[in-house]
Amino acid sequence: MPIKALDPKVVARIAAGEVVERPASVVKELVENALDAGSSQISVEVRGGGVSLIKVADNGSGIASAEVELAFDRYATSKLENLDDLESIQSLGFRGEALPSITAVAQVDMVTCAAGERAGTYLALKDGAIASRSSQGRPQGTTVTVANLFRKIPARLKFLKSVATENAHIANVVSQYALAFPEVRFSLSIDGRAALRTSGSGRLIDSIVEVYGAEVADSMIELKGEAAMPQVTGRIGSPKVNRSGRGYLSFFVNRRWVNSRLLARAVEEAYHGLLMVGRHPITVINISLPLNEVDVNIHPTKSEVKFANERAIFSAVQRAVRQALTEQIAVPRVEAAVTRPVFPSAVRETATIPYSGVAPGPAFPPPTPSMALPVLRVLGQLDNSYIIAEGPDGLYLIDQHAAHERILFERISQQRLRREVEVQGMLEPMTLEVSPRQEAVLRSRYQDLNEFGFAIEPFGDKTFLVRAVPALLHKEDWAGMLRELLDSLSEGDKGDWAEEVTISMACHSAVRAGQSLSDAEMQELVRQLEQSDTPHTCPHGRPTMIHLSSEQLKKQFGRT
Amino acid sequence: MKLSCLQENLDRGLSVVGRAVAVRTTLPITNNVLLATDQSRLKLAATNLEMAVSCWIGAKVEEEGAITVPARLLSEFIGSLPAEKVDISLSPQTKTVGLKCARFEARISGVDAKDFPPIPKVEGGVTTKVEVEALRQGIARVVFAAATEESRPVLTGVDAVFEGDLLTLAAADGFRLAVYKLPLAKAVSKKTEVIIPARALGELNRLIAEQEEAVEIMVNPDKGQALFSLKNVELVSQLIQGTFPNYSQLIPKSSTTKAVISVGDFLRATKTASIFARDGSGIVRLVVTPGGEMTPGKVVVSARSEEVGDDVGEIDAMVEGEEAKIAFNGKYLTDVLSVLGEAQVSLETTNPSSPGVLKPVGVDNYLHVVMPMFVQW
Repeated sequence: MPIKALDPKVVARIAAGEVVERPASVVKELVENALDAGSSQISVEVRGGGVSLIKVADNGSGIASAEVELAFDRYATSKLENLDDLESIQSLGFRGEALPSITAVAQVDMVTCAAGERAGTYLALKDGAIASRSSQGRPQGTTVTVANLFRKIPARLKFLKSVATENAHIANVVSQYALAFPEVRFSLSIDGRAALRTSGSGRLIDSIVEVYGAEVADSMIELKGEAAMPQVTGRIGSPKVNRSGRGYLSFFVNRRWVNSRLLARAVEEAYHGLLMVGRHPITVINISLPLNEVDVNIHPTKSEVKFANERAIFSAVQRAVRQALTEQIAVPRVEAAVTRPVFPSAVRETATIPYSGVAPGPAFPPPTPSMALPVLRVLGQLDNSYIIAEGPDGLYLIDQHAAHERILFERISQQRLRREVEVQGMLEPMTLEVSPRQEAVLRSRYQDLNEFGFAIEPFGDKTFLVRAVPALLHKEDWAGMLRELLDSLSEGDKGDWAEEVTISMACHSAVRAGQSLSDAEMQELVRQLEQSDTPHTCPHGRPTMIHLSSEQLKKQFGRT
Repeated sequence: MKLSCLQENLDRGLSVVGRAVAVRTTLPITNNVLLATDQSRLKLAATNLEMAVSCWIGAKVEEEGAITVPARLLSEFIGSLPAEKVDISLSPQTKTVGLKCARFEARISGVDAKDFPPIPKVEGGVTTKVEVEALRQGIARVVFAAATEESRPVLTGVDAVFEGDLLTLAAADGFRLAVYKLPLAKAVSKKTEVIIPARALGELNRLIAEQEEAVEIMVNPDKGQALFSLKNVELVSQLIQGTFPNYSQLIPKSSTTKAVISVGDFLRATKTASIFARDGSGIVRLVVTPGGEMTPGKVVVSARSEEVGDDVGEIDAMVEGEEAKIAFNGKYLTDVLSVLGEAQVSLETTNPSSPGVLKPVGVDNYLHVVMPMFVQW
């Protein structure tokens, strides 16, 4: 076949394919346009998963009557003037591709009215060409209606997921922008049902309440951004509120919603050890940085960005999140439901003291006390597994094993960093026999185990000689611990190798549940836990303690 | 069963057998103590299946019989009684033991004595006799070095070699080794080596604390049992099966530094340093410096903890050889220094990663080998 230039319609459709992937992409482009127009109210209406209808109305600047047609030309934009502007893009859109791309795959109507114009302009497009134009009354702003999306592209239509899935994507897009722009009032209606409505109050927490609910919002910790760039602001969920997917990590760069593995990794590292494996936090994080330090023009949908200094961004995010977490996370509280007092109903009815089992609480309970561990007084041991302690604000139940694990984990890590691991020599080298699978791991790692205090050398077939062991473990079954560790490591990539070893060592040398402790031992354990950097969770991410506040106790006993 | 005995005797007997009562067990009857008439005496016995202790007390027996009752309940009740005569009677139908003392009366439900695990009879094997003081010393000086962790069962025991008129006791936990030799009051007919659980020897030492008569020992390696006969008390222990490591090769043959130190000074300095070493793994550092022409030699004992601070103590020593640096687990040092009765101890070392040897000065029947900790100097 000879080479020839493609028909403009084909070009348009190919290009549209990049920008308009699914109905949610249309919503994204239109919402971004509305935001760029400086709107303070944006309402989105979709039907049939966005395929039948997408309608985005705003109260932004509108398009002047004379320029309306131009808006639908490819690479026509009001947001960029010259090449230099590309270096410092402030608006969300700039490529001038969105509207023409959408018109290439759907039927589009627009009613717009710019400031100072008496009447608005109505424009209808079909198959990328203007079908009709007239005057129509409208307050300042723009309404874009997209109907019959992908009708002419059965292939694309076929690949769309169920209506519910497409709706979910659309809701996510609108939610993300609602989080990024708390000062804009968003409303989303899906098939006539109000799915989201934000107040536009300008406070992020209000948007979070609408998007994630009051319970999540209550646990969100504010990031105190540093004054210097890159500035990291927003809110992050406390570790007790977590999700099984990464879908709750929202990142904005200069308020542009982006997907970024780099940022996700920074956040996950900051949460490391606070969440159970496979659980992910909820975060809403905005990164402000000079416009020329971020390149948003690497993808037509602009959902990915490139940072000039990735490392600085990574560590700024990680530091900000970690700092907020260590300063503010609260001890998990005993849920009221668990400890509901048994109150005979007859008594309750005749009781003269006013007692209401379900006292209407304030919509926002007072924020959880944000602090490191307070000074605790040990009261005793429960079930040979938990230490009962009293703090200034109620009762603490501490899991002795988890707590000790946390203490040892930090001690081992520190000793290793300072290269001061305490090593106990063996009077007689001990042989360690391992399985073939264990041998494979140990052969490649035995020298690395040195820095943890193990002096191990190969000694023939499936046998190793152990000449020294970490002092911490010398009274424990260190051979069993090594075998367990090797098994776990042989099961595949476990992330941070050194951390795996540290956790394993801490776990094996910590006091067990079921071990009775003397008062002095319990006091010592609690004292060391108080000094720990992250006392609230064990290295596996389980909580080390539960808090029952004086307030709760009073309430449970009907004393309030 | 019907008998009477004195409260003090019964109380003492119950406390003797009490330590053999099982604590956590799947066999509930081992929480009980056996009461049985034995000619004109009352026999008390308890077992945790690893070790059994029997004790005989004088009694006026009117009717033969046997029963078991919960050990703790009985000994607490007897312990609270006045020092008078206790009448014990068993009602065979209900298996209820009636106890009467002064104006107190109690009934305790018992379990048939037939269900009680038989206390092993040790016969055959090798018989010998040891002076009680020597045995006391020997057990005290080795038993603490046995392993408490059970991954290598033989190390939880004390190796006992009977040969001619000599008994050699040795214990090791992989990091230290203690060897003590003591004379046998009666030579054995053939060389016998057994591993006795350290726990049983610990209990034996408690039992012989107030005794003056020599202890009779009978070991039967084939049946895996050892019997220690004291005055009115017998302790039977299961032996640990296996081979004890050949420890003679672990004892360093030579050294480059030898320091002779006062046991009391050394112990005090180590204990002081251990306070500072407590936060970590108890590392105590020793620097041994030979004396000059005018200055005495010394050992500097120090410890430091990243968070807490540090401590340095100095003790005089007679040092032969070169300067030496070595670090030990402070507990290993205090363990051995606190059992030494002698005034002085010698510490022999070669280098910071080779074992140190401690020997009391003036006797040659005890030595203690400790593996150092490897630290940055």
